[in-house]
Amino acid sequence: MNIAEYQEKLLNNAIEAGFKEAEVYYERKNSFQCMLYEGQIDSYETSEDAGLSLRGLYNGKMGYAYTEKLDDDSISFLINSAKTNADVLDEDEGIDIFEGSNEYTSYEFYNEELETIGIPEKIELLRLIEQKIRAYDSRIVTLDYCFLQEYGTERSLANSKDLSLSHKENGLVIFLSTVVKEGEELKTGSYLKMTRDFHSLNADEIAKAAAEEALANLGEKSIPSGKYPIILRSDATASLLSTFMPVLSAENAQKNQSLLKGKVGQKVASDTFTLLNAPFHPEALSGASFDGEGVATKEQTVILDGTLQTLLHNRKTAKKEGCETSGHAHKDSYKDTLSIAPQNLYISPGKRSQEALIASLSEGVLITELSGLHSGTNTISGDFSVAAQGFHIQDGKIASPVKQMTIAGNFFDFLNNIEETSSELYFLPNGYGSSSLLVKELSVTVE
Amino acid sequence: MIKQSVIENVLEAALSTGGDFSEIFIEDKFVNELALQSGKIEQSISGRDFGIGIRIFSGLQSIYTYTNDFSEEGLLAAAKRAALAINGGATGTIQPLKKDIITPIHNIIILPNSVEHARKATIMRQANDIARNYDERINQVKVRYLDEEQHVLIANSEGKFVEDTRIHSRLAIQATASEGKEMQTGFYGPGAHAGFEFIENLDLEHYAGEAARIAVTMLHADECPSGKFPVIIDNEFGGVIFHEACGHGLEATAVAKNNSVFANRIGEKVAPDIVTYIDDGTLPNEWGSLNIDDEGEKTRKNILIENGILKGYLIDKFNARRMNAEPTGSSRRQSYRFNPTSRMTNTYIAPGSSTPEEIIASTEYGIYAKYMGGGQVNPSTGDYNFAVMEAYIVKDGKIDRPVRGATLIGNGARTLQLVDRVGNNLAHGAGMCGSISGSLPVNVGQPMIRVSEMTVGGTKGE
Repeated sequence: MNIAEYQEKLLNNAIEAGFKEAEVYYERKNSFQCMLYEGQIDSYETSEDAGLSLRGLYNGKMGYAYTEKLDDDSISFLINSAKTNADVLDEDEGIDIFEGSNEYTSYEFYNEELETIGIPEKIELLRLIEQKIRAYDSRIVTLDYCFLQEYGTERSLANSKDLSLSHKENGLVIFLSTVVKEGEELKTGSYLKMTRDFHSLNADEIAKAAAEEALANLGEKSIPSGKYPIILRSDATASLLSTFMPVLSAENAQKNQSLLKGKVGQKVASDTFTLLNAPFHPEALSGASFDGEGVATKEQTVILDGTLQTLLHNRKTAKKEGCETSGHAHKDSYKDTLSIAPQNLYISPGKRSQEALIASLSEGVLITELSGLHSGTNTISGDFSVAAQGFHIQDGKIASPVKQMTIAGNFFDFLNNIEETSSELYFLPNGYGSSSLLVKELSVTVE
Repeated sequence: MIKQSVIENVLEAALSTGGDFSEIFIEDKFVNELALQSGKIEQSISGRDFGIGIRIFSGLQSIYTYTNDFSEEGLLAAAKRAALAINGGATGTIQPLKKDIITPIHNIIILPNSVEHARKATIMRQANDIARNYDERINQVKVRYLDEEQHVLIANSEGKFVEDTRIHSRLAIQATASEGKEMQTGFYGPGAHAGFEFIENLDLEHYAGEAARIAVTMLHADECPSGKFPVIIDNEFGGVIFHEACGHGLEATAVAKNNSVFANRIGEKVAPDIVTYIDDGTLPNEWGSLNIDDEGEKTRKNILIENGILKGYLIDKFNARRMNAEPTGSSRRQSYRFNPTSRMTNTYIAPGSSTPEEIIASTEYGIYAKYMGGGQVNPSTGDYNFAVMEAYIVKDGKIDRPVRGATLIGNGARTLQLVDRVGNNLAHGAGMCGSISGSLPVNVGQPMIRVSEMTVGGTKGE
């Protein structure tokens, strides 16, 4: 199936069927992933798949439909379904299909070399890492995840206004979870590494980091529950930021679902807090030069020294507000209607290292991992109460790991209580990034 | 969906490098999803998910590939590409395919795809109105409607050839209450392995009313104290605690490699006598039910813990090899994109003899978790956490006042030992469970139970 011809046929048929304007969004992926267990390949997976969606203006309303079966029958399925879906809407989107931005930043999200390196070489690296971790320390029992994934994605957006954009990206992710045991105490520690440059991966460094991450959790002690100064490590902060991203969405603000409604130009965080949107950040694996509507993306400051500069807009929310779109229309895939999300959102690093922040505390808690974020957070009220792993800090040093904890607070208070950001910067594969934060205090409950 | 001769060729090609088992999973799924917000239907999307997953075993190695290229050449190429991962040798042979006709155990009356969107929208508006009219402080209501019609064909080199259709319907209601600077939400999301009749017969007054009531109740709730307390967990979705604390640790995914605190403990006492824990994929029309699992095995009622004794695990075909055990009809996958593995269906604590009134009356001081949010577990250690959506302080045997922001943490194996009351009011709640083979509809269930001591994390401090 020639995809360009299929897109064109679909667009033409949609216009003939009564759509005023139409857009086709296509995505094609291939991936390889492999899991090792005690030196053996436990699972091995390859894939090639694609899907496509039609979005079109019908009687003033925007209808959507998608398919993963790209045949002639699907053209009528898409057109009829999109009409039915437009008909049931109570409101037109207030916008049309986008004719295109004047200029798009060109940036390479794809490294051809990664694809030319053979699968056996990648498996061999994973095997070597597993071996080195297992040999690292006698307290290491096994790895409950020893996983490598490589993926390539192509996306294209074409519409009846002659806009035609495409995007190609790839990457490789290694995820390791190490199980350690001392006496009766059983602990795990996980480690993730992502890159587009296979040759930058160093088995010794990765094995050491993964093993240390787990071993550090042994010897846990309980500390009294109460309020403590907190250092939230960069990776944990990035996951918290990703969970609370919806508060920055203009759509949520317009629907009374965000307490940042009406706060542009106002102070919403402490002076040390700057939040940036960076579609072309070299350390992040995600990003794109156009958003879900085809609008050119750009570098943006969302919060500057604690003051909210802008909410994240797509063309619909911008029109409602009478401003320009910030280029944050988002689709997770062709299966989604348009929503709002940033392209690489990160908390700007500060001057001192995390170690220096730890050294500055006479007592506190270093949090290295948060879990239960999907259930323990309320993005509307900002309240969170989530499980945490971490360490007790005493006299400027890490004293011991702490038994399972929860940390609780309110995200909006949290933003105002950030005292310092560290010099490290860490990105999650989903494009959220952060430095480590020193926070005045949070409520800590220890098991 | 695809000719039998093509399927046979693919199964054979998959064994060309020495694999000892091959399987094909063909999925054709139609989905409709509508969303209402601010009183308006503002999103509606329909789609067709279509693809093929091919699986090969070679001893304790599992190879998986998927594609949505359904041409014979495309499928053969995918099978051969996957087979390359094995360097066994001799070509394996396949048994002649024998079509297995299944007797559906879930009665479907109205196929959702036959229902006009307008009828779906009407019910969504009714739910919206009920929630909005509950209290003037309700300032936002979201209603999501979802239906799925999934056709699957599963065939393998052992001669299995079986087809099934699964129908899912769900309505999820989220209400937001606000007053001054405070905003709180309440949620209810009933779902079933059933057609549109399930949506039409829903007691909207109850579900939408409860979502609104929870939001309003939490608006002026005190912050939850933290510390160690007896915790009473109500029935229905309250079962999520044992889903996290214990269910995941009984899946072969964790047990087969000894990455579970419950591994190698069949016959041991792991809970008090009053605890019996069951996973039953055959419950008619329940959200987590299936006629057959995703490797074509009939679902069944699996007793996991009986009167406190560990009786069994949830086992899929691949892990059965490592465990030297039989599969239990528990192998599931979100779609053709996932290699299937052992997962829960409808899991619940069997009812005991205490009445809910007795359980509360016998609690001097503790937390009553009326509605639970979601949770998470680390199956290797058994450490879990989950959020309470609606909680109360119990004082002197009476429900005293609502509290918010409560999180429960602990260790599954230890918590299980501390169950000291099991009520008589078993009910099930619908949820989505995420794990390595994707996000799946599951029911969690239980009667009201009490745990003598749990760690409660709250915002208030001790």
